[in-house]
Amino acid sequence: MTMQAIGKPHSRVDGRAKVTGGARYAAEFNQPDQLYAVVVGSTVGLGRILRIDAGAVAQMPGVRAVISHLNAPRLAYQPHKGGTDPANGERLHVLQDDQVRFYGQPVAVIVADSLDHAERAAAALAVSYAGETPVVDPLDAKVQPVAPQAGRAGADRSRGDADAAFAAAPVTVEASFDMARENHTPMEPHATIAAWSGDRLTLWSKSQFVVNEQAEIAAIFGMPAANVQVICPFVGGGFGTSLRTWPHVTLAAIAARQVGRPVKLVLTRRQMFHTTGHRPRTLQRVALGATTDGRLTSLIHEGSGETSRYEQFVEALTSTSGFMYSCPNVRTRYRLLPMDTGTPTFMRGPGEASGMYAVESAIDELSYKLGIDPVELRRRNEPAIDEAEKLPFSSRSLMQCYALGAERFGWASRDPRPRAMRDGRLLIGWGVASASYPCFFSPASARVRLLADGSAEVEAASSDMGPGTYTSMTQVAAETLSLPLDKVRFSLGRSDFPATPSHGGSQTMSSVGSAVRAACLAVQAELAKRAVADRRSQLFGASIDSVEWREGRLSRKGDAAAGPSYSELVTGAGGSPVEAGASAARDAAIAKQYSMHAFGAVFVEVSVDPDLGLVRLRRAVGAYGAGRIVNPKLATSQCIGGMVGGLGMALMERTALDPRDGRPVNAHMGDYLVPVNLDVPHLEAHFVEEQDPHVNPLGVKGLGEVALVGMAPAIANAVFHATGKRVRELPIRIENLLDV
Amino acid sequence: MKAAAFNYARAASVDEAVQMLVRGGGGAKLLAGGQSLLPALNLRLMSLDLLVDITGIAALRGIRVEGGTLKIGAMTRHADLLTSPEIAAHAPLLAKAIAHVAHPAIRNRGTIGGNLAHADPASELPACMLALGATLVIQGPSGQRRVQAADFFLGLYQTALAPDEILIAIELPALASGERAFFHEYARRMGDYAIVGLAAQGKPAGDRIDALRLVYFGVGERAGSCPAAARILQQRHSPAILAEAQAALAADLQPQNDHQASAAMRLHLARTLLARCVNELLGRAEASA
Repeated sequence: MTMQAIGKPHSRVDGRAKVTGGARYAAEFNQPDQLYAVVVGSTVGLGRILRIDAGAVAQMPGVRAVISHLNAPRLAYQPHKGGTDPANGERLHVLQDDQVRFYGQPVAVIVADSLDHAERAAAALAVSYAGETPVVDPLDAKVQPVAPQAGRAGADRSRGDADAAFAAAPVTVEASFDMARENHTPMEPHATIAAWSGDRLTLWSKSQFVVNEQAEIAAIFGMPAANVQVICPFVGGGFGTSLRTWPHVTLAAIAARQVGRPVKLVLTRRQMFHTTGHRPRTLQRVALGATTDGRLTSLIHEGSGETSRYEQFVEALTSTSGFMYSCPNVRTRYRLLPMDTGTPTFMRGPGEASGMYAVESAIDELSYKLGIDPVELRRRNEPAIDEAEKLPFSSRSLMQCYALGAERFGWASRDPRPRAMRDGRLLIGWGVASASYPCFFSPASARVRLLADGSAEVEAASSDMGPGTYTSMTQVAAETLSLPLDKVRFSLGRSDFPATPSHGGSQTMSSVGSAVRAACLAVQAELAKRAVADRRSQLFGASIDSVEWREGRLSRKGDAAAGPSYSELVTGAGGSPVEAGASAARDAAIAKQYSMHAFGAVFVEVSVDPDLGLVRLRRAVGAYGAGRIVNPKLATSQCIGGMVGGLGMALMERTALDPRDGRPVNAHMGDYLVPVNLDVPHLEAHFVEEQDPHVNPLGVKGLGEVALVGMAPAIANAVFHATGKRVRELPIRIENLLDV
Repeated sequence: MKAAAFNYARAASVDEAVQMLVRGGGGAKLLAGGQSLLPALNLRLMSLDLLVDITGIAALRGIRVEGGTLKIGAMTRHADLLTSPEIAAHAPLLAKAIAHVAHPAIRNRGTIGGNLAHADPASELPACMLALGATLVIQGPSGQRRVQAADFFLGLYQTALAPDEILIAIELPALASGERAFFHEYARRMGDYAIVGLAAQGKPAGDRIDALRLVYFGVGERAGSCPAAARILQQRHSPAILAEAQAALAADLQPQNDHQASAAMRLHLARTLLARCVNELLGRAEASA
């Protein structure tokens, strides 16, 4: 093997298409005779629809249909739980009754011959409600916490006696944290174009999970999944908001069926804050007990997150707390706060980002209380195994991450005293935090075709919301087949391609990458089988075990002479493409033997203007132990993107709800603040050498989430170092720092 | 979204543009840099019958110094002001402020005249005009007239311009010997509109500041001068005098609550900015107040 496509900093294979406008996104698949749909959302936060005055609007120019619960078809809504749906509860059934469960819930959809006409009619549609006051604040006394009934969180766990150990500990920290609701705000809005042909439905739809969208829409309409085709070759940013299939997809399909023509439906930016999920606001409490020399004796982590009344959204809020530190007494508790809101959903680093913000902040507090450097404190509590699962780690490079990050950042020159470092008037703070995210590996399939010209076509349903799936899968196929990159064409984003898991949870590289590798090996095996059985082949009659692939040629083992190439073999076999598919999945036994996670250490420098309470990030260094890095250029880019997301979480992002009706008041990019270029300083991402033979055949751990996770606590800890004031809510805003 | 349909005409001269406005009868608007107008049209926050494009009128661009007066053509772009040696020498306040106007892409297109005629309460430049004592030169169907900045900005997006008038130039008294300028603003995110900003110019004399003009922006419905606070600061500097001036800001500014910031926080920031301004103008150590 001399190709070494894996590990090289190749530029994006789809880069040219993206920057020249050649990449087509969901809303760009305009169809002949297409009509336009616009969603009308509820203007009350809870209640019942009394009346919809559709008659007047139906007469407006260009209007083809006004669809509401009064005239919408009763849909099958057969049971369906996709991998990204809450295990408990039932999805919102759209336009099926007069109930309003949250502000912005779709109550009607207008179809017209132009977007302008549809928007105008949507604005004119009069809907009257019997409104009630919704409960939208987790601190509202009317909120009744409930224990999640199912989910991956492993919510309430305990070892030892954490409360007794806390009470007896010579040094303790106890703190509560409040983290704001966030919305994903990708560049590309949610969009679906729906077209029926008889009883077959095609959806060009923004999705991070096309095979689930196919299955779910089929279940909602009570039709065979084979009759639904979902197409989504490009995603303009997702961060989790396109993992589930939200009501607008169903609305587009309803509308297209009602008018008998293709219908395009694009959510407005404002509507992106209503029915497409959000990172839940979380309230947390952390209590730590330690010996005077900094050994943890107790770790208590309690948290609660908002959810809707109709589904239990469960995330991994407390799941890292059992294995990040060596500690004999640990107790975690996780509750949900059902309120009158749409169901939250996964957002980059779901659970880990929120939970580790609290725990990593508390660990930092403990470091000051003990007078021990925060990196050293973590070193003293580094576990040898996962003490929660009592399993060895498949690999754990957290301390190497700290060593590399500290060296690149220059941590050794830090003055540990708060308010000790200054730049002119500005207070300077250096902060650090750990990051972790599990290594998922879900069953995935792929298909490879070798063509007579010696090139390969590779297909998997999958998705590429930005990390570079097109490129990394091309690299895996090129490496496995010993082909140059330009001889491999990888395609994704169709539900009729081999099935893959959701493009979330940092599992695409591990799952789809392993499937692509397996399919490449399968097509080689198929070709070899044909070659030894083909009378015209120079390898005819050889046993299948006596031949091997060397640099894209099939040779007899031990024979130095180069054998036939793919092109010669395919041509020799008649010239028709030779195809093979394969699946990959984690060995269940491995999952019982190892605890598998990626780790990282994040170092940041902030400045705080003491007069104005103004925090600016000045630089950040992230060091990650994420297994094999398939493409260092794209991996660095992905990590920097995650760090920017963490910067937004730490200092800017906050969906504010009107307490009267639950309306997101800052539901646009002017007031929902995400960092702009001027807010983003020099960011560095480094990777430690890490070989993990257990996680998957490629040895990759995934990067998307872990890159965001440690950023917010590192910034919060740096703000304390700068100011001496511990802010225990996110985002940290001027209001929190007026008195420093 | 896209703008509602409108007619478009390109004016070759100021006279022609005025005639077009007259014919437009209130349904016409001028296109200068288009950095506020075009988004407003595209978001359908407004609509119009006729867009009169004045970007081709070369006579409206340029910066020159005549006697003690700096004359700026209304169509001079922010980017040109930012790099102009004349502005840096004679109106340093303006140079400091322009650096805070949005982002480079917007500064490359946006014009000073368009900005002032738009009269956004959070914009930096109206405040600078008040602090600098600018004269605005306006041309309409009956000729030219000159309006003091203090009489030009009437309220939220409201100016003294009639629908058929064009702001053609801005005249600023050049910085006098001994005068110093201060500019600072606070936005939660870089490049965003300020939630509080201060443009100030005055003449430090020992530990007093003469001829001080303090103008806050982003606080109320238009840029707000603070004559009471400025008067107090004409006394010899002391912590007590500063505190008195800071207290006077409440009455001068009467800040409002909105979803960006509470009135109390705005007042706190305004007072902090005042302390910083006084220290800077007096050349004192940058101790926080």
